[in-house]
Amino acid sequence: MTVHFGGFASPFNTPSYLVAAVARRGVKGLTAISTSMGRGVKHRDSQSPWLPPELRPQDFFDVALMAELGQLKKGITTFAVGARHDLIYPFEERLADGSVEVEVLGQGSLAERIRAARAGIAAFYTPVGPGTDVAKGKEVRDFDGIPHVLETALHADFALIRAWKADRYGNLIYRGPRTFNETMAGAARITIAEVDEVVPLGDLKPDQIHTAGVYVQRVVVRPSTPVSDWTTPL
Amino acid sequence: MSVPSNRNEPERLHPTVMAMVVARDFEDGFVVNLGVGLPLECANAMPPGREILLHSELGLLGFGPVIGDHTKADPYVTMVGNLPVEALPGMVFLSHDESFAMIRGKHLDVCVLGGLQVDVEGNLANTQFEGKPAGNLGGAPDLAYGAKQTVVMMHHTTTDGTPKVVTRCTLPLTAPRCVSRLVTDVGVFDIRGGQIILRECAPGWTPEQIQGITEARLVIPNDIREVRLM
Repeated sequence: MTVHFGGFASPFNTPSYLVAAVARRGVKGLTAISTSMGRGVKHRDSQSPWLPPELRPQDFFDVALMAELGQLKKGITTFAVGARHDLIYPFEERLADGSVEVEVLGQGSLAERIRAARAGIAAFYTPVGPGTDVAKGKEVRDFDGIPHVLETALHADFALIRAWKADRYGNLIYRGPRTFNETMAGAARITIAEVDEVVPLGDLKPDQIHTAGVYVQRVVVRPSTPVSDWTTPL
Repeated sequence: MSVPSNRNEPERLHPTVMAMVVARDFEDGFVVNLGVGLPLECANAMPPGREILLHSELGLLGFGPVIGDHTKADPYVTMVGNLPVEALPGMVFLSHDESFAMIRGKHLDVCVLGGLQVDVEGNLANTQFEGKPAGNLGGAPDLAYGAKQTVVMMHHTTTDGTPKVVTRCTLPLTAPRCVSRLVTDVGVFDIRGGQIILRECAPGWTPEQIQGITEARLVIPNDIREVRLM
């Protein structure tokens, strides 16, 4: 099973409760598509070092939890490992022991491959990648004298995303940069949005809505009081 | 973060000063992307009196300096590196795919990237440390291709003194032939036509001293100056 994990490595744009739900479910052999393979519960506080400890969200769970629990078969990502020699996150431990595979590509190609899945485009040529390891084994073709590499759409079974408000049609608005959350909406068979609030139909104005509800199959509301233990069902 | 100085060498530029050296060349109206690591210092070194739009990969355009006082920060408005930034009038939020359409479509004037190795062809390696099982490409390949100019801002050597300015990159490439300007903690360089040209030296440094910690052969013109901040 393939799953898109939305957000961009911040407690404030990660669908933490959906991640926790996948962890509780215990499903194994997942291919995770995520811009970062995450830090995990142990390194959670390092994600927002500028926040004083009492303000750091303790209900922050990222895709590294799946790596810690041995649920992953593969990661498709742009940030596979810790950015320093002494930073080793759960996914890197799994890479080192050979229990997971990884495909690393640039963020623009990752984003466009996901967008292509939502938009029904099978593949596209991008000028980013030729001359580097990313292009190995892929078709390279010149357009206007510039080499382009063929990248294919990245579909998933589920897309787990975080938004701010939803209505009962699944229309969404986001708070802050919309990251991979908006990009992944609709790029899977089932898109599930974790939101702060569901508002009555009509409260979200047509010229405000970022993601049309047609891309969203399910909406889950975050608890009003943070739940810091991922093993606790909502 | 700064490299410990050799007993015999002059003082190296502080990252804050390196950021000012990079940012002095941002022109009024430029759209600029700052990579993680050293380049983020530039967010707080913008030249006064110029309107410069800062872009960040996660979908943020037109933000201000990094906010040091967490009580004034909106945790939802962060740039790469997950640092809270000031919201400026005219700021725009984007999705990731739109953010990279903007990059790949050549709508950015400058990107500033960190580096592990830069070579004479302008090849850049900045994604995979030796000994790590995989790399972190991030947005760098798209930025290096799409921005009209790619500037690399990095320490001139590794912490153990190994040169990072090399004849040919040995680490996996992030992007080929992309770097045209290099700012390190000892000087400012242009890269063109298979040559690295020393333009400015940090105070106290001679071109010979800089060549001494550089693997690549530097072109040393007659009109070299001391590093300028403005």
